[in-house]
Amino acid sequence: MLEKWKLREVIVLSVLAVVFAVVYLVFMQFGNVLYGMFGLIGYDLIFGIWFIVSIISAYIIRKPGAAFLSETIAAAIEVMIGNAVGPRLILSGMIQGIGAEAVFAAAKWNNYRTWVLIAAGMGSSVTSFIWGYFISGYAALSPDYVTAMFFVRLISGALLAGLLGKWLSESLAKTGALNSFPIGKELRREKSQNGITS
Amino acid sequence: MALHHNQPLLITEQLSFRHEEVKNPVFKNVNFSLYPGEAVLLLGPSGCGKSTLAFCLNKLYPEAVDGELNGTISFKGKILDEFRPGEINQHIGIVFQDPESQFCMPTVEEELAFGLENMKTPPEEIESKIDEALELVHLLSFKHALIHTLSGGQKQKLALACVLSLNPDILILDEPTANLDPASSYELTRIIKELKEEQSFSLLIIEHKLDDWIDLTDRCVVLNRDGETLFNGSTADCFNKYAEELTLEGIWLPSAVRAGLLGKKAGIYKGENLPLTDRELIDGFVNPYTALQILDNRKTIHQVSEEPVILSAENLSFHKDGKDLLKNISFSVNKGEFVAIAGSNGSGKTTLSRLLTGLYAPSKGNILFYDRSLSQWKEQELRLKLGYVFQNPEHQFIADSVYEEIAFSLRIQRMTDAEIQKMVEDVLHQVNLLQHADMHPFSLSQGQKRRLSVASMLVNEQDMLLLDEPTFGQDARTSAELMALLETKIHSGGSVVMITHDMEILHSYADKVIVLSEGEKIYEGLPDSLWKEHEIMKMASLKVPYTEKLRNKLDAMDGRNKFALT
Amino acid sequence: MLLHEFNPSIKALTVIVCVLILSLFFDPVTPFLTLVVTAGATFIFGKVSFKRWILLFSPFIFMAIIYIWSALIFSKTIEGETILWTWGIFTLTEEGFQRALSLGMRVLSFTSLSLLFILTTKPTEFLLSLMQQCRLSPKLAYGIMAGYRFLPLMKDEFEIIRSAHRIRGIPKARTLSEKIAELKRYSVPLLAGAIRKAERTAMAMESKGFTGDRNRDFYQKISVSWKDWAYFAFFIGAVLASAYISWLFGFLQLYNGEL
Repeated sequence: MLEKWKLREVIVLSVLAVVFAVVYLVFMQFGNVLYGMFGLIGYDLIFGIWFIVSIISAYIIRKPGAAFLSETIAAAIEVMIGNAVGPRLILSGMIQGIGAEAVFAAAKWNNYRTWVLIAAGMGSSVTSFIWGYFISGYAALSPDYVTAMFFVRLISGALLAGLLGKWLSESLAKTGALNSFPIGKELRREKSQNGITS
Repeated sequence: MALHHNQPLLITEQLSFRHEEVKNPVFKNVNFSLYPGEAVLLLGPSGCGKSTLAFCLNKLYPEAVDGELNGTISFKGKILDEFRPGEINQHIGIVFQDPESQFCMPTVEEELAFGLENMKTPPEEIESKIDEALELVHLLSFKHALIHTLSGGQKQKLALACVLSLNPDILILDEPTANLDPASSYELTRIIKELKEEQSFSLLIIEHKLDDWIDLTDRCVVLNRDGETLFNGSTADCFNKYAEELTLEGIWLPSAVRAGLLGKKAGIYKGENLPLTDRELIDGFVNPYTALQILDNRKTIHQVSEEPVILSAENLSFHKDGKDLLKNISFSVNKGEFVAIAGSNGSGKTTLSRLLTGLYAPSKGNILFYDRSLSQWKEQELRLKLGYVFQNPEHQFIADSVYEEIAFSLRIQRMTDAEIQKMVEDVLHQVNLLQHADMHPFSLSQGQKRRLSVASMLVNEQDMLLLDEPTFGQDARTSAELMALLETKIHSGGSVVMITHDMEILHSYADKVIVLSEGEKIYEGLPDSLWKEHEIMKMASLKVPYTEKLRNKLDAMDGRNKFALT
Repeated sequence: MLLHEFNPSIKALTVIVCVLILSLFFDPVTPFLTLVVTAGATFIFGKVSFKRWILLFSPFIFMAIIYIWSALIFSKTIEGETILWTWGIFTLTEEGFQRALSLGMRVLSFTSLSLLFILTTKPTEFLLSLMQQCRLSPKLAYGIMAGYRFLPLMKDEFEIIRSAHRIRGIPKARTLSEKIAELKRYSVPLLAGAIRKAERTAMAMESKGFTGDRNRDFYQKISVSWKDWAYFAFFIGAVLASAYISWLFGFLQLYNGEL
C-alpha cells in the first residue's frame, strides 16, 4: 500500500495529525465539561472529532489507505507527544481508521461526495464503538444506555467528522495550500467551469 | 574567472519545466553548465523559476510535483534519469531557504545520521563522519542538541553540515540566508567561503542580496521574468553591461553596482565600467564626499520633539520562566514619530513589542498610552487605536476574502453595510488591492499579503502602529511598497514603532533608534550618531548602512594618504 | 537495570496485551492490584518522579469517577442480585456497585500501564525499534518523525495566532457555532502553513537521498534480548497474579457476570 504513496503525502498526513493534536488540546476542556455534565454519553457527543483527520486526509489525498493511515499516524504521534492513553491508542486509531476506510473502499475510492464523507465518519463510529464496548466494559451498563451512546456517537461521527471535516478541507483548499492535491485540482476545475458559464 | 580546461560536471540542454495544468513554462530552453570548483550565481526576479531549476538539477523535480521537464540534464556525462533514486543526491547537495522545514529528526546527531544512512554508509563509519561535518561548520558542541532549540543561523549551518557529510561534488544554495538576521547571515557566508577555499566542490548560489557573495563568484547566469536565459557569463560583464536590464527585471544589484549606477546618472561617477567593489566605486567618483551626500537617502528629520507624547514606557521589566527578558526599559513615542527598535536575536525586541501592545503584562513598570495605563484600557477600545503587525502576515488573517479581512473590524463596531463598503474600498485602493477583493488572503503573493496585513491595521485609523520585522525575508519591491505605506501613515500624524534588522531602512526612515542587548536598552537616539558608537554596534551585532560603510572606508583611505604625504 | 533500557516495541506490546487481558475482568480488585504493581515499577525501576506521574495521572482520576457514576446510574440490572438501594427507576445492587468500581479501576490501571511506557520511552527509539523489529516501513516511520518535529513549531504558531486574533479584536467564542468558527480560524492558518512546510520537508528529506528503501543499516541499533521477554513475562505475570489473588479472596468476575 505504501509504495504508491509519495513521501510528501505521508508527511502531510503526519502534520495534519500534529496540528489537530494541538487544536484538540484546547477543545479537550470543552469535552471535559460535557463529560462532567452528561457522564459517558457526554463524551460520545464529541467523539466524532477524533475521526476528523481520517475524513480530511481521505478527502484531500484521495488514495486507498488515506483514512486508515492518517488515523494510525495521528495515534502514533499522540503517543509520541506523551498522550497518557499510551500504546493502545495506536490500536484504537487503527480500528477507527478501518471503519472510515471500509466506507471509502465501498465507494471504490473515487467517490468523495458529502454523503460518502458522512458515512465514513459513521463507519469510524461503528468500529470504535465495538472496540470501546470490549475495552471499556460497556457490558456492565444497561443496554438502553449503551444503545443511546451508540446513536449519539453515530451522529457525532456524521457531523463532527464527516461534515466538519468536509467544511474544513474546503476552507483549507480555498487558501491555495492544497493546489497540488486532488481536492485543490477539483476546486480549480470547478472555478474554471464556473468562469466559462457565468 | 576560472579557465575551463576540465569537462563540465553538470550540463543542461534546452531545459524547460512546466507545471501541470499551467500553460506557460516556469523556465524554458535553459542551457547551462557548471565546471569543477566553479562558483556560479543564479540571478532572476522573484518567481522566475530559479528554485525550480535548482530542484530539477538534483532530481527533486519533477517527481515531487506534477510537472513536465523537457530537455536533458547530465552529471559527469551521464543523464540524470539513469541514476538510481537517491543516488544523485550524494553528488549534488542542496541547502534550502527555510530553516524550519529541512529536518526530520529531533537531534543534530540523528539528523546527520539520517542522511548518511540513506547513502548506505557503514554504521561504524557514521560517527566519525558526523563529527567531521559538524567540525566544518563549528557546531560540534551541539552534537546532542535538539534541533528546535537551535537558532535560525545554527539550523542553516546544520543543513550545510548534512550536505557536506555526504561529500558532494556540487553544492546548491537556495537563498540560505533569506530568513536569517544580518549577523547570522554574515556568519554563514563566511563559513561557506572558508569551505570553498579548503574543499573542491562547485557552488551554485541563488541569492537576493549579493554583497556578501560577489567576491566569491566566477560567473553569473541570469533568468528573466519569463524564465529565459538573459545572460550567462562573467560576473564583471554581467553587472557592467546589463545593470540597467537587471534593474528593469527587478533584480537586486550589489550595493557598489547600484551606487555606481546612481552616480553615473547623476554625472558624478566617471569610471569606465560600473564598480563591483567599494574600492572601484570610490576611485570612480570625481569627488567621493559630495557623491556620498547624493547617495545618502536619509529622509529629512521632522521635528517631533514639539509633538505630544502618545506612548511612554516607564521602567519596564519582564520575567518569564525565571529569566529576565527585559530589564528596566524606559522611552517614549511622540505623535508622528518613526521609532525603530534594533538588536541581535534574543535581545528582547519582540517581547518588548508584545508588552507595548498589551499582549503581555509587564512584571514591573508601566506603559502609558495617551496618559492612561495600558491595563486600564478596554480591549476593544485599545485595538482601535493601537495596531500591531505580526512578522508573518498569514497569522493575522481571519476571513475568507480580502474584502472581509478589512471589513471584519468594522463589523465588530456594528457599522452599516454601506459605510463598511466605502471604507473597505478606500483602504483597499490605498494599498492597491482593490482588484483582488474577492481573493482568499492566503492565495495572494508575498508582497500583497504584507500590504493586506498592514491595511487591516490601517482601516480604523489607528494612531499608533507597531510592526515586528515586517521587511524580513521580503524582496526589495515589497519592502519599498511597505515603507511607502508607513510614510503616509506618518504624514497623516500617526506614529510607527518598527522592529527591524535592516539598517538601510533604519537609516533612511527612523527618527529615533532604540537598541536592545540582552534585555537592556543600550542606545536611544538618532541613527546618525549610532553609527559612530562602535562599541554598541558590536554589542548588538549591527552592521552600518552602505553609505556609512563607504564613508568609513573613505576616511581610512584619506588617513592613509595624509600619512603618506607627511 | 532501568526500564528505559528495554526494547520499546516489546514494552508497547506488553501494554497492549496487559490491557486486553484486563478487559476480561469485571471486578475492582484485579485492576487495582495491577495498578499498584505497575505504579510501583514505574517509581522504583523507572526512576520517574511522583510529581510528574501524578500530573499526567490525575485527569484520569476524573475520568474514572465519571465512569463510576455513569455505571452506577445506568447499571445493568440482573435478576437475583443483592439490592442495596432503589429510587424510582434506578436500582443499585451490590454486584452493580462492584462492576461500576471495576470500570473506574480499569481506567486507572490502563493509565498506569501507559504511563509506564510513555515516561520511560524515547519517541525516536520507539520508531527506530518499530522499523528494526516490526518491519515498519521507513517511509512511514520517518514521515511520522518529520511530523512529530513540527510540534513545538505548531505550539508556537498557535500562541502567535491567538495573540493575533486578540489584536484583531475578535470577541470570545461562547456559543457552539462561534466555537466551530473559532476552530476554523485556528486550524486553517495552522494547516495551510503546516502543509506547505510538510512539502518542503519532504523535498529536503529526498535531497538527502531518502527513498523509503526498506533495506537500511541503522546507526543507532535497537536490539531484543531475553531480558526484554523477561520484562514481557513479568508484567503479564503480574496481571495474572492480580487476577489469581482476586479469585482467592472471592472477588474475581469475568465478562459474563459470574465466574
